[in-house]
Amino acid sequence: MAQLLSADLKSRGLVLDPRSKLALMLSIVFFSMGGVGSDIKAVVLISKLLGLIPIILLLTAKQWKKALAYGGAYAVLTLVSLELLPVMNGGIKIFLTICCVGVLRFMPGLIMGAYILSSTTVSEFIAAFHRMHIPQQITIPLSVMFRFFPTVMEEMQAINAAMKMRDIRLFGKNAGKLIEYRLIPLLVCSVNIGQELSAAALTRGLSAPKKRTNICRIGFHLQDIAAFVTALSPAAVIICNRFEVIA
Amino acid sequence: MKEKLNGKDLINIGIFSAIYFVIVFITAMLGMVPILYPMLTVICPLVGGVVYMLFLTRVKKFGMIWIMSILMGILMLISGMSWYALAIGVFSGLIADLIFKSGNYGSSVKGVLSHAVFSLWIFGNYLLFYLNHESYMKTREEMVGKEYVDKLNSLLPMWSWVVLLAATLIFGLIGGMMGKSMLKKHLSKAGIA
Repeated sequence: MAQLLSADLKSRGLVLDPRSKLALMLSIVFFSMGGVGSDIKAVVLISKLLGLIPIILLLTAKQWKKALAYGGAYAVLTLVSLELLPVMNGGIKIFLTICCVGVLRFMPGLIMGAYILSSTTVSEFIAAFHRMHIPQQITIPLSVMFRFFPTVMEEMQAINAAMKMRDIRLFGKNAGKLIEYRLIPLLVCSVNIGQELSAAALTRGLSAPKKRTNICRIGFHLQDIAAFVTALSPAAVIICNRFEVIA
Repeated sequence: MKEKLNGKDLINIGIFSAIYFVIVFITAMLGMVPILYPMLTVICPLVGGVVYMLFLTRVKKFGMIWIMSILMGILMLISGMSWYALAIGVFSGLIADLIFKSGNYGSSVKGVLSHAVFSLWIFGNYLLFYLNHESYMKTREEMVGKEYVDKLNSLLPMWSWVVLLAATLIFGLIGGMMGKSMLKKHLSKAGIA
């Protein structure tokens, strides 16, 4: 999580507008995970293809390792659920099926999430949100939050290491104190760091009433049109189908 | 008498959302074990309570809780969990905010209540299993067989959303109370709460 929304701008290959990434994501959570319109054959087929898009996107972003890991896991689980499960039976089958199908259902969305978070910068996101006319009351906390994630994680790791020394860990002698002894120090130091961060941001004019500018160049290109067409296709199929039924 | 949120408030929302989300997210990793997945409605509100209660000591204006709830929904959407958390969060956040507002931003009972309502975004992630359930299950039946579908239905029957919803609310209340007592024990002394 330390590299959340901090993409390497130089070597990320195909650049999509954050808005088209969001459109693809919405399409995946609606149709591939949510199962909207899964009574229509064509939609089911498209939604399965939608599940492959995040992996393709990871490849275009030159994130070979991630693409390989996710793609491999996806392929293995699909193979297991198609080939291995029908020949098995009993309790193991049911347990494995629940694992496979559950993970398969969530995977496209999670991989897409990993792609979005690793291929976009916070600034680009904020720029996209501004273009979508989302108010500052949302975008400022959002950018502060993403700025603050790595800090919290870092503090958390340090505290966890310290508490491990006192045997306050899962399955340790003092496991009962786990929540209290980790949460409270984390809260205290995060809040203190937060106060400093807040003072620094205010000094640099975060609360100025003017409209903020942004140096990120975002906009729609050819690949974005392709992304939107893909994202909207299941909806289009559903609408056509319903229309025919009525007419 | 409408006070607008200033920069400091907005930064506070961001900071507390980050702490809250990291803690809940780490806890939610337990849900990767499928059997524990429904248990998250119990654990997450318990753990999130402390952070939320500390956040409430910073809330003095209308809108701060609401925005935090929307942020949780946006995060859930970006990270690919579901869009239901956002849909629920927009409303539950508003209600939580109104509840805390009715206590003049100082009542601890109202604070605990508002945490229970705020926690509903966690429940929102489960709606995926209940909406479009029938048609989804039909396509699964072709793929993995009726046996599995029946088993899953018996593990997570349609009425179980009531249980999950109740668990979220009840443990939201308990988490809020626990958070309050932890604040009193540790943080007020340190001058943070």
